[in-house]
Amino acid sequence: MDNLAKLQIARDLVTSLEAGDDGKADELVELMSRNREASLFMEVGRLTRELHEALKNFQLDGKIAGIAQHEIPDAKQRLNFVIQKTEEAANRTLNAVETLLPISEKLGDAAASFASDWSRFTRREMDMSEFKALSGRLTQFLEQIKTDSATLHSSLSEVLMAQDFQDLTGQVIRRVITMVTEVENNLVRLIRCAGAGAGRTDESGSALQAEGPEVKGTAGTGQRVNGQDEVDDLLSSLGF
Amino acid sequence: MNKDMKILIVDDFSTMRRIIKNLLRDLGFQNTQEADDGQTALPMLQNGSFDFLVTDWNMPGMQGIDLLKAVRADPKLASLPVLMVTAESKREQIIEAAQAGVNGYIVKPFTAQTLQEKINKIFERVAATA
Repeated sequence: MDNLAKLQIARDLVTSLEAGDDGKADELVELMSRNREASLFMEVGRLTRELHEALKNFQLDGKIAGIAQHEIPDAKQRLNFVIQKTEEAANRTLNAVETLLPISEKLGDAAASFASDWSRFTRREMDMSEFKALSGRLTQFLEQIKTDSATLHSSLSEVLMAQDFQDLTGQVIRRVITMVTEVENNLVRLIRCAGAGAGRTDESGSALQAEGPEVKGTAGTGQRVNGQDEVDDLLSSLGF
Repeated sequence: MNKDMKILIVDDFSTMRRIIKNLLRDLGFQNTQEADDGQTALPMLQNGSFDFLVTDWNMPGMQGIDLLKAVRADPKLASLPVLMVTAESKREQIIEAAQAGVNGYIVKPFTAQTLQEKINKIFERVAATA
């Protein structure tokens, strides 16, 4: 609607208001607001079409489709692989520990008992039959040590080899970082294409939300304490 | 095969270098040095009179395959026995390493036994062709 037409409506509006013709005045106000809505709709329609075109052009960039179809599912697989490898490594190590802890206890106990018997022998407090018994036990013990040494060696080798997870998972994680960087770059492009107003990031999230161990350099909600001592201090300051 | 031979271990992950060093020590090889990339390894090899090279493939500066090719191209290093220990397991890669003159190829994850077998095999062949 051009300015001349608007001017005419305005004049007619003033006339009808002065003449007390409310019906006519309402009609004219309605006419003007309908006109405003129409241009608003046209503007929204134009922007929608522009966004649609931009998105279409963006999708035609095969990389986006590729990322959605291959690389993100790939990245999920890779991260699951990391979880699996680290779990295996932890279990292998724990198995070795569970094998070796009892052995080390036995070793300590046996050494203690032999020590006390041996000092009795050196103080000549031991008779012949006791000494024969001690000698038998010592022979057995030395045999046992040979076996235990072999177990010790093989368990420690297991622990050594179990650490290979770090290299393998490290290589995999580097690849995921590369992919995530590419997605990040593409998202930034998309946000620019779609226009301004994307400055606001959603930072809502309660400090009670579980977030796993602290990773330096990452965002999180709430404030972390630094180590067990600070946990204990906090609790005792609250009366625990 | 001399247990005192000087070995260079090359891998960009220090944990892997440590694992290999400990395995070699277990097999009686105590004379080891380390490099974290093909780029740092090559000058060490050129200046160092090493008897054996154990290298990873996937490294950021100079990859293991390129280190191998550089070693084979250098007349002073051309006959150095080289063992690759790597997560790279594609047929094309194994073929490329073989064609570039690698003496052994172990894929990760590997066992101590495999390492021992391959080292023995490499030096049996070296002795046979000597």
